[in-house]
Amino acid sequence: MSNLNVINKNRTAVINPLVTCQPLGAMFAVSGIKRGLPLVHGSQGCSTFVRYGFARHFREPADIAVTSLHEDAAVFGGRKNLISGIGNLAARFKPDVMGVVTTCSSEIIGDDVGGFIKMAKDEIVKKMGVTAAEKIKIVQINTPSFVEQHYKGYDNAIKAIVDTLAEPKDEQNEKINIVPGIVNPGDIREIKHLLSLMKTEGIMLTDTSDPFDSPLRPSKAEKNPYYQKGGTPLEEIKDSANSLGTISLCSYANTGAQSLERKYKIPSKVGGTPIGVQNTDEFVRTVKKFTGNEVSDDLLDERGLLIDAMADLSSRYLFGRKVAIYGDPALTAGLARFVTELGMIPSVVCVGVKNPEFVKEMEKVAKESEDDVDVLLGQDLRALDVYIKENPVDIMIGNSDGRLMAKDHKIPLYRVGYPVYDRVGTARRPIVGYNGGLNLIDGITNTILDKYYEVQDWKLQQ
Amino acid sequence: MVLNLATENRKTEISSKDGDFDIEVKIPNYIIDTLKSRESHMCVSGKSDSIPDCDKNSAPGMITQRSCVYGGARVVLMPITDAIHLVHGPIGCAACTWDIRGSTSSGDKLYKTGFSTDLREKDVVFGGENKLYESILELNRLYTPSAIFVYSTCVVGLIGDDIKAVCKKAQEITGCRVIPVQSEGFKSFNKSAGHKLACDAMIDYLIGTKEPEEVHPYSINIIGEFNVAGDLFGIIPLYEKMGVKVQTAITGDSTVEKIAKCHHAKLNIVQCQKSSNYLASKMEEKYQIPTIKVNFFGVEETTKSLRAVSEFFGDEEMIKRTEELINSEIKNLRDEIAKYKKDLSGKTVAIYSGAHKSWALVSAFSELDMEIIMSGTQNGKPEDYQKIREHVCEGTLIVDDANSMELAKLLKEYKPDILISGAKEKYISLKCGVPHCDFNHDRITAFSGYNGFINFARVVHTAVMTPVWRLSKKMT
Repeated sequence: MSNLNVINKNRTAVINPLVTCQPLGAMFAVSGIKRGLPLVHGSQGCSTFVRYGFARHFREPADIAVTSLHEDAAVFGGRKNLISGIGNLAARFKPDVMGVVTTCSSEIIGDDVGGFIKMAKDEIVKKMGVTAAEKIKIVQINTPSFVEQHYKGYDNAIKAIVDTLAEPKDEQNEKINIVPGIVNPGDIREIKHLLSLMKTEGIMLTDTSDPFDSPLRPSKAEKNPYYQKGGTPLEEIKDSANSLGTISLCSYANTGAQSLERKYKIPSKVGGTPIGVQNTDEFVRTVKKFTGNEVSDDLLDERGLLIDAMADLSSRYLFGRKVAIYGDPALTAGLARFVTELGMIPSVVCVGVKNPEFVKEMEKVAKESEDDVDVLLGQDLRALDVYIKENPVDIMIGNSDGRLMAKDHKIPLYRVGYPVYDRVGTARRPIVGYNGGLNLIDGITNTILDKYYEVQDWKLQQ
Repeated sequence: MVLNLATENRKTEISSKDGDFDIEVKIPNYIIDTLKSRESHMCVSGKSDSIPDCDKNSAPGMITQRSCVYGGARVVLMPITDAIHLVHGPIGCAACTWDIRGSTSSGDKLYKTGFSTDLREKDVVFGGENKLYESILELNRLYTPSAIFVYSTCVVGLIGDDIKAVCKKAQEITGCRVIPVQSEGFKSFNKSAGHKLACDAMIDYLIGTKEPEEVHPYSINIIGEFNVAGDLFGIIPLYEKMGVKVQTAITGDSTVEKIAKCHHAKLNIVQCQKSSNYLASKMEEKYQIPTIKVNFFGVEETTKSLRAVSEFFGDEEMIKRTEELINSEIKNLRDEIAKYKKDLSGKTVAIYSGAHKSWALVSAFSELDMEIIMSGTQNGKPEDYQKIREHVCEGTLIVDDANSMELAKLLKEYKPDILISGAKEKYISLKCGVPHCDFNHDRITAFSGYNGFINFARVVHTAVMTPVWRLSKKMT
């Protein structure tokens, strides 16, 4: 019988952080709205460094505005900056949705963001007229940077978006709301694909797939400002109050779903991220439960293909191999469960958050695993580094930030999650769903083959 | 080719250049449609003596490409390889800027580690000084670094932690240099204020704090060279062949000790004049070290920069060696470049980058027979724009603090054959169908010196000639 050992942080400083601050999560969520723009109420660096990070990871432009707070704002408050910021953004970009994202500075100086938004709205009405002004929805998202991490910021944003924008109608819409979590465009597309095989329409809260992976198609009709293709349209977000149910695919973002449940009686379910066979099965079952739609043969074939690949590869190359996993709590929990399905041992899972839901998910994994699982909870990459020195593993799975550590320990690293800036394609290739499982098992196995099997002996490895 | 924006010429030029693609370009009376307050931030060189409005607050809500004061301080100090760079603030300030600078090191890797005091709600209410103190002691125990730089962020400025006092106390206890950098992000709209703070930290706490064992008669410091993608490794050998000893680069591939001992150098040469002129003039004041401004981008500029140093020392032998070195270095260079020049000749360039590069690259491009049609920068001061004016041709568009929407419009209007900028602008440029060359923190190829220039020519050539641009234009 295996155990889950939770190891908490015993250091003051954070060394090589695994998490970043709340506003980033909120900026990510707002970017998933069609013609949606985040407006960060803070210093210029608060938007610049996130835009830089998104550009580096997604290889796409990221339009995020900022109110450029300076010393005078620190003394007199940020009212002037916020009101003119909202006004300029409305006049020049005419977004459908503007997400006003607070930061540590605007939270500490105690700006009445809600009040300023009202004043800004009056200004917009004066300058642009009632009709034009009413087309621009403004969502207030409070994300003090010194509370929790970017996962909480994502959750706050999703809740603020549905609280502000969802509108109940008399009729149900036969759709399912999905809160995907901080995942890649490829993952969101795969979730939509799974839903389509279930003949189900989904409302993504929100859909960052096209905005962060947009076609290069110059055309004469293209208007300024340039908006990336896609994102969840405002109409669909409004309609999220009439859906059959809401599924959160990450344990850290369920307050939006709870809010919809409380206000509009829409049942909600927090599932594990659908990584691997069982988690994807659970997702499919939840969709079936909400919609009553049957599981199609096509879907069963996709599941069969993944199982086939597992049969081909797991016992030969993967069984008994020790894995270290780090990064996003929802992804790491899913990955830990998947490697367990492959017969690998998730020896250590390291996350930067202290989330009780995550610990519960990991308890489930430990129960399924044959060996002890250590969880580094609320920790950083240095903690994982020290751990691995004492307890070596065969492969690491996580983002690019662990690359130097992997090199030092001569342990191969398979890159997933955010940020990945030193490999290409990670944002396009899904890791969720049965197809994502195929990508994962191929990627992990090839990484293992590169390191542990001599090329000249490849025939022996068939 | 000179762009004359006021005449009909432009229409025909653009039409013939782009073939069947998007020929309907309206000739604007003004530069582009933008906010009223932003119109004066753009001007065309030669039209009058004016320079664009600059060094002002960005318009809130427009998507500025600017960074913050903390970012400015961090980029200057971060290349010091054997120091801990501890960010006193919420986790995001460290997490988003950790290891984003492509400065390489020939030794220590400590500077690539991300350190944060991770301020939480409780610290914001009760103050973060204790946490900072604990963190410094702990990090000193774990790493025994040569120095710990402590950067203050917006939060620290607002809650009023006295980081200077904490650093002083921690230094007494640990015996390790603990250097405060008062870089609250909101201090200024111009991140150059951060560069200055970083220079102040070095002047006040580092430079001159240790005596060198011996002083080379021909020793120099290279200031404002951050060894991005290993640029320094193309420069130092050149000076060494001349018989000049590079005491230290500030701050590329440097160590705390090297910088501490650099005050006896005979000469300071300044590469990035945006971030580091201030440091050079401070050193001139305090240590009477004379300063020469140099530029290692392009053959001509590199040659000038080598000669300037040998002429400064006035040693006949060295002058002879330098001329020989220059001759041998550029002997094969022209042929190498000619093959790129063939394709690049006549192509147009837009630069939107740090103020230094906005004019320092002009000569390099003219050596490739390319013409700058637009140059701009996020944080330019009047003197920077004067420099641009001195370097570019008549008709060049000069832009201050262009936001992402203006950038996209300008790129579409003027259709340069390449944009030189950093990563944030890169994908805006590509989406507008304009090839792009990275010239910022995260570039992966060294561009300095003679060999660097060949790399530069190759990278620009690759960007312009890659077949994707033919494909993307075929179908609209």
